[in-house]
Amino acid sequence: MRGAKGRGRKIYIALLLTLMYVPIVLVIVYSFNQSRLSSVWSGFTLSWYRELFRDRAIFEALRNSLVLAVISSFSAAVIGTLGAVGMARLKPPPGKIGKAMEYLSILPIMIPEIILGMVMLAFFSLLGLPLGMLTLILAHTCFCIPYIYLLVKARLAGLDKSFAEAARNLGANEWRAFRDITFPLILPAVVSGILLSFAMSFDDVIISVFVTGPHTNTLPIRIYSQMKTGVTPKTNALCTLVFAATVLLCILSTVAARIRVKTPKKEQSK
Amino acid sequence: MKKIAVMLGLAFILVIPSILFAGGSKDKQAKKEFTLYTWSEMFPQEILDGFEKETGIRINYVNFDYDETMLTKLETAGGGDYDLVIADDYIIETAVEKGLAQKLDKSKIKNYSGINPIYQKQFYDLRDEYTVPYGAGVQTIVYDPSTVKVKISGYADLWDPSLRNSIGTIENYRVINGMALKVLGKSYNTENIADIQAAGDRLTALAPNIRLIKDDNLQDEIISGEISAAVMYTSQVTMAKIENPNLEVVFPKEGIGFGIMAGFIPSKAPNAEAAYAFLNYIMDAQRGAECFEYLGYYSTWTSSDSYISPEYKDFLTLPAGFNLDMEMIQNISPRADEEHSKIWTAFKTAAGN
Repeated sequence: MRGAKGRGRKIYIALLLTLMYVPIVLVIVYSFNQSRLSSVWSGFTLSWYRELFRDRAIFEALRNSLVLAVISSFSAAVIGTLGAVGMARLKPPPGKIGKAMEYLSILPIMIPEIILGMVMLAFFSLLGLPLGMLTLILAHTCFCIPYIYLLVKARLAGLDKSFAEAARNLGANEWRAFRDITFPLILPAVVSGILLSFAMSFDDVIISVFVTGPHTNTLPIRIYSQMKTGVTPKTNALCTLVFAATVLLCILSTVAARIRVKTPKKEQSK
Repeated sequence: MKKIAVMLGLAFILVIPSILFAGGSKDKQAKKEFTLYTWSEMFPQEILDGFEKETGIRINYVNFDYDETMLTKLETAGGGDYDLVIADDYIIETAVEKGLAQKLDKSKIKNYSGINPIYQKQFYDLRDEYTVPYGAGVQTIVYDPSTVKVKISGYADLWDPSLRNSIGTIENYRVINGMALKVLGKSYNTENIADIQAAGDRLTALAPNIRLIKDDNLQDEIISGEISAAVMYTSQVTMAKIENPNLEVVFPKEGIGFGIMAGFIPSKAPNAEAAYAFLNYIMDAQRGAECFEYLGYYSTWTSSDSYISPEYKDFLTLPAGFNLDMEMIQNISPRADEEHSKIWTAFKTAAGN
């Protein structure tokens, strides 16, 4: 019985992993395909990678996307965390108006993106802000805040208030208690919020295409606008590189974590 | 603590390359710049590099997803910011109406006379004042003569019973409904509701022959033999022909629908001179041919036709002495458009899609 059950599990997992990874493997395989089409295999080539590296515009777009995603996810982290911590400390707990404020602050992820994009474009041009990196960062920060806010809020809700109170009793001032007690405790939520926001910002097309200016193309816009002429294996090559970078990062962080764990053994004694 | 360390580490690793990347781009405004606003992959890299090398002008190639987005952005910029826009015919009509395009100084485009007159004086630019056509989508029928028994010479042949369950079409309702209109001898842009309804009945009769209705990668299906005849986008026809030169490309005898992509200079373009320089550069006969081969759309410049290599020639240029009736698909009244949607839905349902 046990054996059959175990096999069932294995098959299930294998099936699931296949479904998830076959498309990615195909993308990688076809980045080495000689033909421009993605249906016919006509031989191995590296020419799409050569093409990719000659395309300066793609790398500019990639750089813009990275800068944008990093800056907006970090600014959203600061604003979102402050908001969540502040909301949790409200005394008495938020009434009707407070709740309404809370819903208002997570509205950006509920409004359809296309509308948010239009509205922001209208707003920025009303203000006379030149469209470009600044407007992109503002827009992306805006829709990233709710992710951080929600995650941190959930983490705070499960946190015992007496930790911070104990610190205060022992003479720590407000800031010290936050820095030494509350912040380390909510840090995992902040970090996963940042990673989520990073991903959201990095692949956003709809809002970006509205608020970007004549000098800041982002990678998703560039790839998306290939629909007119058909996607070439050059894009497959780029996907492969991005995928490889992601895998490398995961491996590096695991290795880094191992090294960190090995050194301080004391922690386990508590 | 371990998890936190991992996550922080990950975050830092993500930050570092972007800082490095950002550092390497300070030479941005150093040279003269030319902002080209169109879809990506519209020009071969050699052409873009060649232009920068020859003129010393740096190309800032930015993209939009849909024509409508382009119009919104251009309106917000008040016709400024961008130096050359390449977009679809119908949106250019609106852009010109809104005063977002400037009249071309043709004396600055030395190859202007090379433009194929078939693609000129169209509805979006009746007096040829604002635009230069760059690539045309021409509606053809593609079929595999090894599996199709009948000779296809027009849309009407697609109704042949021998083609049962073997035709693929794109999802563009104006193009596909238009086939039935053409078979009935009507215009693509007819406003007559009865005509559109008659076309709808005709289409329903076509449904048993339809195997697939889809937009993306339809060319793959005809190459793999999943379908044996197809009505598809021009760039897809090109890809299919490159892969399988035995496929036949037919100009339907009932008349042909087509669409044009065209370039215009926005009314307040910051560097219109660079736009002229770029047009001059690509409109060179030989370079033009390179562009169209890369793009996979019909050559709109007669001057380039003779440079298009033989393997591309019969599906990127119109044959000499071409005299079929050509009609552009234009915007129609909401009432007629609604009727088009209705017959399209009925057709898709009948075809099982």
